[in-house]
Amino acid sequence: MKTLAQTIVAILFLCAPVIGIAEGVEMRRVALTLSEDGRILLDADIKFNLNDTVSEALENGVPLTFETHVQLRRASAWVWESDVVEHRLRTVLRYRPLSGMYELRNLVGDERLSFATRDAALRTLGNIVAMPIIERKQLDLDEDYLVRIDVGLDIEALPLPMRPMAYIKRDWSITSEPWEWRLRP
Amino acid sequence: MAAAPVNKRRFDVAAAAMLVVLLLASLHMISAAVQRSEELGQWFIPLLLFTLVGLVILFGLVGWNLWQLLRDYRLRVAGSRLSARLTVLFVVLALVPVSVVYFYSMRFLSSGIDSWFDLQVDSAMEDALTLSKLSLDLHKRERLKLSENLLSSIEDTSQTAMALSVNDMRASSGALEITLFSVQGKVLALSHANPDILLPTAPDSGMVQQVVAGDNYVGVASGPDGRLLVRCLVLDKARRGIVLQALYPVPEALSDISSSLQDAYEAYRTRAYMRSQIKFSFALSLSMVLLLGLFAAAWAAVFTARRLVQPISDIAEGTRAVAEGNYDKQLPLPKVEDELGFLVNSFNAMTRRIAHARNALEEGRHKLQAQHNYLETVLGGLSTGVMALDGDGRIQTANRAAEQILGVSVADLAGQGLQELGRHRESLQPFVDRVMESFEKGVHEGRAEITLYRGAGRQVLLCRHSPLETDPGTATGHVLVFDDVTELLKAQRDAAWGEVARRLAHEIKNPLTPIQLSAERLRRKYLGKLPPEDGVVLDRATHTIVQQVEAMKTMVNDFSDYAKPSKLQVKPLQVDEFLGEVVALYEGGTQHVVTDLNASGLTIEADPVRLRQVMHNLLKNAVEAGGERGHIVVSSRVGAEGGNDFVEIAVSDNGPGFDPDLIDQVFEPYVTSKTKGTGLGLAIVKRIVAEHGGWVHAENPHEGGGRVVLHLPGLALSTDQQLPLLAGIDGEGEDA
Repeated sequence: MKTLAQTIVAILFLCAPVIGIAEGVEMRRVALTLSEDGRILLDADIKFNLNDTVSEALENGVPLTFETHVQLRRASAWVWESDVVEHRLRTVLRYRPLSGMYELRNLVGDERLSFATRDAALRTLGNIVAMPIIERKQLDLDEDYLVRIDVGLDIEALPLPMRPMAYIKRDWSITSEPWEWRLRP
Repeated sequence: MAAAPVNKRRFDVAAAAMLVVLLLASLHMISAAVQRSEELGQWFIPLLLFTLVGLVILFGLVGWNLWQLLRDYRLRVAGSRLSARLTVLFVVLALVPVSVVYFYSMRFLSSGIDSWFDLQVDSAMEDALTLSKLSLDLHKRERLKLSENLLSSIEDTSQTAMALSVNDMRASSGALEITLFSVQGKVLALSHANPDILLPTAPDSGMVQQVVAGDNYVGVASGPDGRLLVRCLVLDKARRGIVLQALYPVPEALSDISSSLQDAYEAYRTRAYMRSQIKFSFALSLSMVLLLGLFAAAWAAVFTARRLVQPISDIAEGTRAVAEGNYDKQLPLPKVEDELGFLVNSFNAMTRRIAHARNALEEGRHKLQAQHNYLETVLGGLSTGVMALDGDGRIQTANRAAEQILGVSVADLAGQGLQELGRHRESLQPFVDRVMESFEKGVHEGRAEITLYRGAGRQVLLCRHSPLETDPGTATGHVLVFDDVTELLKAQRDAAWGEVARRLAHEIKNPLTPIQLSAERLRRKYLGKLPPEDGVVLDRATHTIVQQVEAMKTMVNDFSDYAKPSKLQVKPLQVDEFLGEVVALYEGGTQHVVTDLNASGLTIEADPVRLRQVMHNLLKNAVEAGGERGHIVVSSRVGAEGGNDFVEIAVSDNGPGFDPDLIDQVFEPYVTSKTKGTGLGLAIVKRIVAEHGGWVHAENPHEGGGRVVLHLPGLALSTDQQLPLLAGIDGEGEDA
């Protein structure tokens, strides 16, 4: 839905540049491991590089919502077939002017972490450790699966007045190249 | 046929109206989404897209309508100019106020948004934040001092002792959490207000580095419940390698005020930062409202103009149709009964009346044409010549009989003055003079017998004229009616001659026999008794008497033959065979009689005795005309005319031929160029031939001599068919 909306907005505003992808987010390392209790865990090291526009917005109190989208589906699945499992890890990064600290807030567990520097906050944001994806026994051992991860800034979570311009301006397009690989459980 | 465009128009109107309503609803929801972004914010972009797409469609609709209007304007379609003018007027009327409102709205909006963020507010917000920071700083310093003291109070650095003492420290200090680390980051002891929490709140690497470097850290962070916490990281001054982290809850009142202030400050900073985006969003919404208003107004203008002008266009179209002769044109009535509806009603009534009048006129014309045809047929069938003249004596119409009688064509007669007719046909001058004389004398109705001398001979016309009154009592010309009574007069004359001959024969024939008998008795009684000289005289005298009486008898018999009504005893007759028998009687004489017979096999119905008399009369005339060395040819041939066979029999001689002055009258009784004879021979021939349904004429061929030709109908004709022909010939004779 978001991609469709981005495309249509880009077409309607003919002056808009091509929406960039894989800018500002770099997946340095992604790994799936099998825990001792039979769960498939995700480890990832993602580096976020905020450009000046986004940094300025952050410094001015604009909360930035990053979403890590993890999909696992059968390799031979039809287009309309639903995913075996889908996780959306949404985290809000904001600057707290009173304390002068950067705060990460996990929207799922409402966990808050404060950081003295922006880099420390972004490092923590990009460090995914042992995120449970699915239990192995839930998968068909004779089936191939595709795991797809993409990370990006959620423009729809920006304050409403900023959204039209965020769709138009390339600076706000902070998304990763989808990371995808085949899994044989 | 007309229902489909009407339905389509209704559908277009409904679709456009629906689109406008949807766009209005979408704009309203955008407005709601802007005001309540938390609830409806996710609909903002889809609504924006929907509105933009809708506006593009509406723009296309308006553009299409305007293009159609322009095309009609260029093609000069009826009503297009008025529609265009009304559309422009409506659009301008809508554009001006909307543009003014838009311009000032944008100005007010821009200045209004700018007014939110003036310097005083900026300064006040910064001051408030600074004040809150100062207040927190004081609290932080106190907590840092407390933390240093707590760390200094630890005497036994064994892990067990520290685990025990840390609980006391947390309880006495009111901290939420107290953790002891080694400088390497190993947790030595932990005490948390919530005993279920077994892991410490980890400081970030920057804080740890700062503390390890010898600079204690104190800062404010948000707790899990959103309440502010003071975090202190203190390094043991006794260099025992211990770091103490304490998390103190900020007093509730201070925390609430500070959090509230922080939220307000953040909101203010965010809005200040988004000032241009807010302006853009409002401008976008307002522009969409403007565009919607403008497009809807333009579409409504085109629609309204067309709707208003439609009856006028219909009337213009209808007027054009009437001008082209289509009087059946009826215009659709407008639904609203206004002045235009009245106009359309009047137009329809007018065309109905015109159509009615046209139909009546057409019907009258048809009737008139029928009457004219009827009259023309009747007049054409008349044997009487009828001619209509206008007041100036110009010929208006003339029937076919007039053409035949006068010998000129109807086309030549039409439009000509009667005087012109006389000038062009000199032979008709007496007719013209008599008629014109009667007109000039002002004779209302006249009757005259006019004799013309023409190439075909004398022609007697019985002429009547009367005034031509198209309206009662108003004469606009004359009607001239004339009959050719030449043949009628001739027939009357023939009848009179026949009567004279019959009486004469009757009166003369009776005394002739006694005279003859008396003369013969005188001769017989006294011839022998008289002296020879007297006897000679008596003999000559009585002989003369007897001879002349014989001659008189012959003459009287001829008269009788001519006068007495005949009774034909017809039977089939082979023409050539019959002619051969007749001619055979003349062979052996001094004259040379030859035949040229080409009608072998053709049979006619004829009385052989009467026909033999005809041939004898003709041959006798030819013998007398040719003299001693006469050369006579009797010929026959078959012909066909009007689908009927006839035989033509001709008797030619090499004599002097007929007197040209008498050639047309040789078949009249007592017309002869001979010194002898009664002059009834050819008259009898004509009569017998006419009785057989034929006709006869005399001619002088180029090679010399004279020739009499007679036509007799063939046997193919039945008696019933012969009768009209016979009657026609007789009738023709009577008419002529």
